[in-house]
Amino acid sequence: MSEFFNQYFDFNFMGEHFGEVFDAFLKNLLIFVVAGALALTLGLFLALLRQLPGKKFMPLRAVTIAYIDVFRSIPILIVILLISGGLPYLEFIPKDIRIPHWFGQPDPYWYGVLGLTLVYSAYMAEVYRAGIEAVPGGQVEAARSLGMSHGQAMRHVVVPQAVTKIPAPMLNELISLLKDTTLVSVVAFGEAALIAREIQAETFNASAYVLAGIMFLVITLPMARLVDKLIKRNQGKITRGSHIEVA
Amino acid sequence: MPEPMVKLEGIHKRFGQLEVLKGVDLDVAKGEVVCILGPSGSGKSTFLRCVNLLEPPEQGEIFIEGHDICKGPGSGTGAESWELDFVRQRVGIVFQQFNLFPHKTALENVTLAQEKVLDRSRAEARAKATELLERVGLGDKLDQYPERLSGGQQQRVAIARALAMDPHVMLFDEVTSALDPELVKEVLDTMRELAEEGMTMIVVTHEIGFAREVADRVVFMDGGVIVEEGPPAEVLENPREERTKQFLGLVLDR
Repeated sequence: MSEFFNQYFDFNFMGEHFGEVFDAFLKNLLIFVVAGALALTLGLFLALLRQLPGKKFMPLRAVTIAYIDVFRSIPILIVILLISGGLPYLEFIPKDIRIPHWFGQPDPYWYGVLGLTLVYSAYMAEVYRAGIEAVPGGQVEAARSLGMSHGQAMRHVVVPQAVTKIPAPMLNELISLLKDTTLVSVVAFGEAALIAREIQAETFNASAYVLAGIMFLVITLPMARLVDKLIKRNQGKITRGSHIEVA
Repeated sequence: MPEPMVKLEGIHKRFGQLEVLKGVDLDVAKGEVVCILGPSGSGKSTFLRCVNLLEPPEQGEIFIEGHDICKGPGSGTGAESWELDFVRQRVGIVFQQFNLFPHKTALENVTLAQEKVLDRSRAEARAKATELLERVGLGDKLDQYPERLSGGQQQRVAIARALAMDPHVMLFDEVTSALDPELVKEVLDTMRELAEEGMTMIVVTHEIGFAREVADRVVFMDGGVIVEEGPPAEVLENPREERTKQFLGLVLDR
């Protein structure tokens, strides 16, 4: 049994390597914050494109739906590999873009951010869509009857209500995103999983993995608890809401 | 005879296989109050929603203040074929389910479209909204969210919200049907006052008493057509058509 603990839970070992793993974990957080913000923004944009009315916007809606379906269906790892394994060699693209070193971050960082943003914006678009579709149709009818354009109705009436209906699924996606930042290790970006792996390879001790896992847990577990709370609170709201609608 | 405020000719509307409106004509004069009665499924609500193009008809002509709001020659089939802006600036509507914006206070419900659509300043919109909400008896509820208002109060906010856009015609789509009985009167009183002030109104309702008292004309619809129309005294007291008699018998016998 002590062999098991020494392999996975060697606290002295964790203490020795804490600094290294923690520095790497901060990089995961940095990917998470940037890709998360981009995915939340782009996802809303996609969801709104998908809601555009009329025949005129049919092609745009079709492209949007295709984008969402494709990126929801490909493994993130492959998306990241597609970017890192091709983009740098497309010589018709300016070098600053195909091999970006913006804000002092190396190109693997940006390939990871781009890959995660592409995929998670598709996920987020679906979450927003659920929120938008949960807003009763009468709301749009009322807004349009008052002379508001489709865009105004979306901006002032639908989206403000939609976002109050989706914090729980949104947080769930963000939890997944944080965990999926470890996939960026595949392009040799020194985040927590990669650094832990290097430590393991040198020492044949897996405690660095556990240490990295604990760091994720410290952030994601409270988020998961928050999701539960939001769902409970929302159920209360729905019960009250339906009562009002009947009255 | 002066130009009718609203003129609808040969309105047809179908939902898939179901033909809901089978050629409906209606003229409404300025200042006139027309009540549309009929059993559920008669097409009366759909017809009303055709007037402001919430349900654009597949066939037929609509004139608002003499202006043909159909864009192309003949009739269009989709919302794109109609002059939506022209209609929505002149026609207000109040719904059965109120459809107030739940994330906005009573006052904000009434100011939002004024600011965004009519480009009124915040101060101007607030002054107008306050005046209207006072007029419908809600001067003390300006900062309440709809959730905190009774159904009757919500419906009066909805009326104020529509009036804030200075409509020339008001549509009422069964506005008391979702209300508890004791709250119906306050909404009908508000509508009665509006009628007395000379507003042109088309009212789809089950309130026979209101129709008898307030309407200049009563229209009875069934099966997607107008069966009978005329002054309330005639249609309600001495209906000519068998279907009207049947319906009134069922409604008044309660």
